[in-house]
Formats: sequence, C-alpha cells, structure tokens
Amino acid sequence: MLEALNLTKRYNGTVALDDLNLKIEPGEIFCLLGANGAGKTTTINLFLNFIAPDGGAAKIKNLDVTQHPLETKKFVAYIPEQVMLYKNLTGLENLEYFSALAGHENYSRKDFLNFFGQVGLPSDAADKRVSTYSKGMRQKVGIAIALAKNAEALLLDEPTSGLDPKAGNEFSELLKRMSGNGVAVLMATHDLFRAKECGTRVGIMKHGKLVATIGAEEIGHTDLERVYLEHMRE
Amino acid sequence: MTTTIAKKEFTEIFRDGRFRWIAGVLLLMLLVAAITGWNQAQETKAEREAAAKMDEQTWLAQGNKNPHSAAHFGHSAFKPAAALSYVDQGLNAYLGVAIWLEAHYQNLSSHRPIEDKTALQRFGELTLAWTLQYLVPLLIILLAFSAFAGERERGTLRQLVSLGVPSRKLALGKALGVAAALALVLIPATILAAVLLAGLRTGESFGEAALRFITLSGSYLLYFAAILGLSLAVSAKVKSSRVALLSLLGFWLISSLLAPRLASDFAERLHPSPAVSEFWSAINKDMQEGIDGHNPSDERNKQLQAKILAQYNVKELKDLPVNFAGIALQEGEEYGNQIFDKHHSRLWALYGKQAGAQQFASVISPLLAVRNVSMGLAGTDLYQHRHFAEQAEAHRRKIVKLLNEDMTRNAGTQDYNYLADPALWSKVPQFEYAPPSLGWVLGNQFGNLLILGLWCAATAFIAARAAGKMRVD
Repeated sequence: MLEALNLTKRYNGTVALDDLNLKIEPGEIFCLLGANGAGKTTTINLFLNFIAPDGGAAKIKNLDVTQHPLETKKFVAYIPEQVMLYKNLTGLENLEYFSALAGHENYSRKDFLNFFGQVGLPSDAADKRVSTYSKGMRQKVGIAIALAKNAEALLLDEPTSGLDPKAGNEFSELLKRMSGNGVAVLMATHDLFRAKECGTRVGIMKHGKLVATIGAEEIGHTDLERVYLEHMRE
Repeated sequence: MTTTIAKKEFTEIFRDGRFRWIAGVLLLMLLVAAITGWNQAQETKAEREAAAKMDEQTWLAQGNKNPHSAAHFGHSAFKPAAALSYVDQGLNAYLGVAIWLEAHYQNLSSHRPIEDKTALQRFGELTLAWTLQYLVPLLIILLAFSAFAGERERGTLRQLVSLGVPSRKLALGKALGVAAALALVLIPATILAAVLLAGLRTGESFGEAALRFITLSGSYLLYFAAILGLSLAVSAKVKSSRVALLSLLGFWLISSLLAPRLASDFAERLHPSPAVSEFWSAINKDMQEGIDGHNPSDERNKQLQAKILAQYNVKELKDLPVNFAGIALQEGEEYGNQIFDKHHSRLWALYGKQAGAQQFASVISPLLAVRNVSMGLAGTDLYQHRHFAEQAEAHRRKIVKLLNEDMTRNAGTQDYNYLADPALWSKVPQFEYAPPSLGWVLGNQFGNLLILGLWCAATAFIAARAAGKMRVD
C-alpha cells in the first residue's frame, strides 16, 4: 500500500532521509519513532509529494507520488501535528469543506455529526467557529476529516499531540478499528506508549536512517523504551 | 469542486468584519460618486443648453447689419455633455466647452473648467471612474493577497493540497470567491448607475448610451480580472502574505500613480506640444503669404479680380452683377481653411503620437489602458473632442459661406455699407452636435482594449502556473 524505495532527501547537502526502504501493507500500523530531525516528517512529506526526493521513490498503491501527484492523494488521508482550520468557519463547515474537496459531497449533516461523535467531539461544538476551539478540539476535527475521507492509507504526523490521555486512547482504538478494516497506517510519533499500544510494527529512525524495525510478533514483549534509548545512545 | 472552493472563500471573506466595513465604505463612495456625477451632468447640460439658447437669441436679434460684420460677431458651438460623462469626466476639465465660430479664424475651444478651480480641486474629483480605477483595485488586492500565501502561513494549504485538489481548480475557485465578494459592491453600484442613465436625457439616443454603458462595464470587468489574476499569482508565488501585500501595493502605486505620470512626461518630452502662441504665429505666417479679403491691393487679389472680370466679361468692378468684396472674402476664407486644416491636422497628429507613446506604459499599468477606454466610451476624451471640434469647424465654414454668398449676391457696389435684412440670421442653421457611434469609439480604443485583454489572459495564465508550482510551506 505504502512503499518507500531507496528514498533519499537532502537539504543543502545535509541528509534528511537516507536510503529508506519500507513497505506497509493494508491493515498494518507502522509507527516511526525518533528524535526531532530524525527524518520522520520528511518521510511523510515525501509520501504527500510536498517535497521532491533526491533519490529513490515513494509509492502509494504502486504509483510513484511524483508522477501521479493528484491520484495518489486520493488514497491517503493526512493528519499533521497541528491541524489547521479556517477559523471563520464552524467545525462542521470545515469538515464539510475538506470532505467535499476530497470528493465526498454527499454527506448529510447527520453523517458529519456522526464523524464528530466517533472522534469524541461534543456535538454542540460542531456549529461553533473554529476560532473558539482548543488545540485538542482542532486535532479531533483533523481526525474526523481523515475519517470522512474514507482513505485506504493514513499518513499521520504526531496526530495525538495536544490530546488528553482519554482522547489519545480513543484515537488508538479508532486506528485499530480502521486497520482492522484494511487501512494501512504510517504514523510518526514521540509517544512510545501509544506506539506500543496500537502499532503492529515500530521503526526507529536516527539521522535520516531507519536503524531498527521491531516486528509485530516481538512488539508485545519488548521494552520499547529501553530499545529506543539504546539506539539513541549509539 | 470549484464552486465549493468559491463558496467557502466567499463565506470566509463575508464573515470578516473588516471586509464588511471596507466594502460598505466603498459602496457608499460609489453611490455618492454616481449621484453627484449625475447631478453635475444635469447641471452642465442645463447650463450649456441655456448658453446655446442665449447665443442663438443674440444672433437672431442683430437687426440690420452687414453680413460680414455678423460673421465677425460670430456664434458659439457648445459641446453638449456626453450621456456617460456622469461616470467619467475624462479630460473635460482640461478641454474647453465651447468654440467661438467667427469669420477668418478656426478657434481653439475655450472655457476650460479647470481654470475656475482651486488647486485642491485639481487633485481629483470623486467620480465613478476614479473610484473604479483607483479604489476597487485596492479592495481586490486586500481580498486576494492572502489567498494562497495566507493559507500557506496558517498551514491550511498543506491539508488542502494533501486532499489532491487540482491547483487550477483551487485558483479558479478562489478567484470566483473573491469575485462574488466584489459583486456585493459592484452590482448595487452598477444598478444605480444604470437607473441614473435611464433618467438622464441627453441628445444621444438611449440605446446607444446603453450599449456604451454595457461596453464600459465590460471593460472595467476586464481591468478588475487582470488585477485579481495578478493578486492570486503573487499570492501563490511569494513566501509570505506580508510580502504579497507589499508587492501588490507596490504594483498599485506604480500602475496608478507613477506610470501614468511618467508616461505623460515622457510623451510630452518625445513629442513636445507647441505653445498656443507658437501655434497661432505659424498660422499667421502662412496667412500673410496668402490673400487677405480686407485688402484688395495684394497680388492674389489682383489675380482674383482679373479672373472675375474676365468671367463676367466686364472691365470695372462696379460693372459686375455681383459684389466683389463678398467673392474676395469667401476666396480668402477658403484659402485660410487650407491653412487651418494643415495646422490643426498637424496638432492632432502630434496628440496622436503622444497617445501612442503613452500606450507603451500600459504594458506595466493596466490603469492607463482602462482610463483611456473609459474616457473614450464616456465621450470625454481627446478623440471625441476632436470629433466635436471638426463638426463645429464644418459648421463655421457653412455659416461664413452663407453670409459671404449673401453679400456677393446682394451688396452690389455698397460693399461693407450693405446691410442685410434680419431674416438672413434665421437662415443660419443652429449648431447640433452629432456624437460618434460606438463602433467609432471601439475603433479608437482597439489598442487599449487589446492591452486589457492581454493583461487578463497573461495574469490568468501566470496565476494558474504559479498555483501549479506552489510550495505548501
């Protein structure tokens, strides 16, 4: 579903992503761990074709994202670290707008409220302008937008930042449900706990390299924090 | 998808309190400008009609008088206010409103309204054309500068692009959203202006005026579309909305203030206009080389005498069955006309060259192009002034000829002691200006309309390209 082939990105000579090879199948939740600047966001930006690779290719459903920039975006939904919305529009209007642009123009008000319910956004907030929302609420609107897009893959860049533990837990449950339906997920995160809780695989990145991958069978009984810190020390 | 984007842009703009304020003030200015312009046009019309009537009455009340004295006494041709002059005063302030039609001389127009104005009034009047040319572009810039740059700064552009929205649809949707907000200001103003037009009775036919009004509105729409395309292109291209706003305001300053000023200085330097005194002394020089109807002693007059005596087969002027002074006057008149035609067409050719030199500047200033089109359609530009001056001159020649012929026929040997019957004055037709057709105006303005069209096409192309290559952050 999501595939990186020798994916490389340099910024002014500095390697931001070094020869990444990664394949995420439908139903998998791949969590990318790593310090700031390790290349997690760069990876996601490359999959979204926001930046052009210096080598290798990012593929979605076997289509190179640089050659099929519009088509490949139809299959994925993206949640950034800080979901940004149109502050003069209500939460529901934002959801409606982004859904319509994603090609879903037939949702009813009830459908939208249902999406808000699924992400734990109170229904009385739906008709308030987004300028009154907290960061966590905006993040939930972002999740609802991704949900409404009904995508086959999710590209998540620290999606739970700003969410309280309960909302974070609900988000984990939501992700598991979606992966159960065959959605492939690539999630960059700092949250070891969340990674262990919902990830089917975990990758550790350092200086643009994927230095370790922990498979689905080991993940349950690995001390993730210890492994992570060991890699960071080297 | 495009309509969804347009609707959202419009909603966002409309919910912005700043927009409602600015748009409200601008709409008010447009309405006030339309009404004051209309009142002024009505007053001008009444004034000129009254002046023409008085002139006619004075003419008719001359009593017994020598026809040539009457020709010197003269008539005035008043330029009627053009139907659309309430929209655009154009060069009216700088061009005279009347031409004195007298024997021997083709006069320049006189009574320039600017001569009666204070320095402050010279700075500019609140007219529809001024508001449309200078202020509406500012509103467009304010509505569109952040279209892409603002979304990039706020981070919404990432999410928008991640959805797989084609950039051209995005650009078109944004353009339509801004256009819809703009329509809130422009539609009421257009409706009022159209109602006022219907209430304005001028000599022109309403159908012709309505066609001009529609063409005028279309030309302004082209101008606004060019500004909008440019604003979106800059917004997509530059990094921050701050830079976008500053660049666009810089463009506005150059297009509206700097370029027109420099263009007219440049045109004047390239093709300097003669001073009025120089113009007349060149004409007088030519006149002295020809015959003078008042002076039967010069060379040409002798030739004319010999020719006329031979024609009627008599030996002395007193034996002629016609009055020779009348013939000599008309002959002098026609000789003078050739000189006037030569000098006036030179002057108009010079103005034409100046206009051509100025047109180059409309490559960087669409305002120059729309200003010319607007004046042209309103009938307040130099082209229509020439059109008026030429009709007035043709009328002058007709009157003078009629009077000279009366003298030739009836003065016998009395020459200047002959007094014509007052009935003669009423044989002189009143001057009625017939304004040119829309096709004539469009022919004059073809270059400017083409430039406006190119501005539109070029900015739309650049905006679409810039949106396609846009970076998300």
